[in-house]
Amino acid sequence: MAGAGGGGNDVQWCFSQVKGAIDDDVAEADIISTVEFNHSGELLATGDKGGRVVIFQQETENKSQPQCRSEYNVYSTFQSHEPEFDYLKSLEIEEKINKIRWLPQKNAAQFLLSTNDKTIKLWKISERDKRPEGYNLKEEDGRYRDAATITTLRVPVFRPMDLMVEASPRRVFVNGHTYHINSISVNSDNETYLSADDLRINLWHLEITDRSFNVVDIKPANMEELTEVITATEFHPHQCNTFVYSSSKGTIRLCDMRASALCDKHSKLFEEPEDPSNRSFFSEIISSISDVKFSHNGRYMMTRDYLSVKIWDLNMENRPVETYQVHEYLRSKLCSLYENDCIFDKFECCWNGNDSVVMTGSYNNFFRMLDRSQRRDVTLEASRESCKPRQVLKPRRVCAGGKRKKDEISVDSLDFNKKILHTAWHPQENIIAVATTNNLYIFQEKMN
Amino acid sequence: MDVEAKRIMALSISKLYSLRTQRGGLKLHRSLLLSMTMRAARDIYHTAQLLRDAEEEQVVPCAPDAAPEEPMEISKDSPQTLTPKEVAMKPQETVEEDKENRCASERHSRKRRGKTALETDFLPLKKAKMETDEEKQHLQGEVLRTNNGNSCRQAETLTAFPTNRTIVAC
Repeated sequence: MAGAGGGGNDVQWCFSQVKGAIDDDVAEADIISTVEFNHSGELLATGDKGGRVVIFQQETENKSQPQCRSEYNVYSTFQSHEPEFDYLKSLEIEEKINKIRWLPQKNAAQFLLSTNDKTIKLWKISERDKRPEGYNLKEEDGRYRDAATITTLRVPVFRPMDLMVEASPRRVFVNGHTYHINSISVNSDNETYLSADDLRINLWHLEITDRSFNVVDIKPANMEELTEVITATEFHPHQCNTFVYSSSKGTIRLCDMRASALCDKHSKLFEEPEDPSNRSFFSEIISSISDVKFSHNGRYMMTRDYLSVKIWDLNMENRPVETYQVHEYLRSKLCSLYENDCIFDKFECCWNGNDSVVMTGSYNNFFRMLDRSQRRDVTLEASRESCKPRQVLKPRRVCAGGKRKKDEISVDSLDFNKKILHTAWHPQENIIAVATTNNLYIFQEKMN
Repeated sequence: MDVEAKRIMALSISKLYSLRTQRGGLKLHRSLLLSMTMRAARDIYHTAQLLRDAEEEQVVPCAPDAAPEEPMEISKDSPQTLTPKEVAMKPQETVEEDKENRCASERHSRKRRGKTALETDFLPLKKAKMETDEEKQHLQGEVLRTNNGNSCRQAETLTAFPTNRTIVAC
């Protein structure tokens, strides 16, 4: 497929696949907590609350049938993190995978970083499709041969075997964080990466596990003076000295590691003045940024707060260049959303391959596609009811109040337990992965 | 408005308490947002209460300008007087994982009782409401018990209490 990853509303999205259990009774361990394509888009990784990582691989395309979609099938499954207990602090450490980030591929093996609240691990995923046979001293099952029976000498040879995909932990980065790790980001130098918790950001070298550099520390001397925490961090896609971090107060700071070793002092501060007409008890909570992502070209960054997505030009600090409302109809419902804790949900966002469209999730298994170039947006739904192969997704509308039109759904009918927090877009093609609570939906562009 | 504020305050406090028993340890971000919301609601509620109390006290408006001035002064002061109390209350709301702050929260453990007594009004149902007199006595008792001059931080809370009593009395 030749798609440039572009187009938003010219693109019609079709159902491709759904992964995960069908029954409504969701096991907590199966709740998907992160989704990430690798740099080529061939592999798609998911992490769940049970500490497992599942990797799907795109089938090699059938060139003779260009209309035949390449499907993602399970490639590898492994237990990345286990629940732990910190005896010193009497705290349980959850095994939930908070983030997965792929390393760019250097050789035949694939590498990814996965993290829970406290520990980051580097996993090597490699294929084995041959094995040596014909040892002199051992039988094929591994038992040692009786030396007296050995009368000839032979050279072992490699013979093909069924493909086996092995995942092995190559590095374990421990004890870097006192607070809960919320994000990791691999540097474009492919040697270092950042990890951030609520108050600190550390710089690690991929080869070195026993120490890291602390580059940002916002912990006040007196914890009673704490007013904001770090919510996400990301390296610039091309400039290996630049990274950003977002805060619970709705600000983003850009830091340059060339300026000083400790980047407490930012190079740029991105902040939009608050609209006083929107002030409420919950203004603080809804302004907290849940995700920050650089565009692929490195000129923009996108932030997600509870109700909106904002696009910032890195050269303009005082306001975003674009603001999109994700679900403005929720603004009058903030009190109820505070009661049921939904107001604390952390939605992620992502760019398409050529930075023309952004995507983010919402409630009722809705997700939003926001076309920057055409200034249009669409709401789609990930549902088992639209699961026929190549079924085109119908746009959804939410009725904020007043008379509900046909095909619209009213705000009060929305299911707030069905939330799409994690989405990912293939780096080159119009293929998206959307995670509902425990299912992973894959949608593709409709082919004519 | 203040009914709403009171409800949000009670909700926030119960959420903060339940945070402590959650698996995975205390979430700093969540507890920060909860305590900020709780404080915003509490400020509104207290301001509304002060205004109401001041209105009730107006028996004869002899100087029509003087009467509205009084509540204004009090409400202007209240954010300031609340701040040292906030400072004292905050360690209880955010459970410290750090050793350096652990001693501080332990020292405040006695004060916690006083704070709970103060807020029985706002916690949903379970605890019996204490009468204002009893409350005052209880607070006074607290002041006497903790007044051993060991830490300057406790001195801060001591100054907060008299102010609070002043508000209640007026």
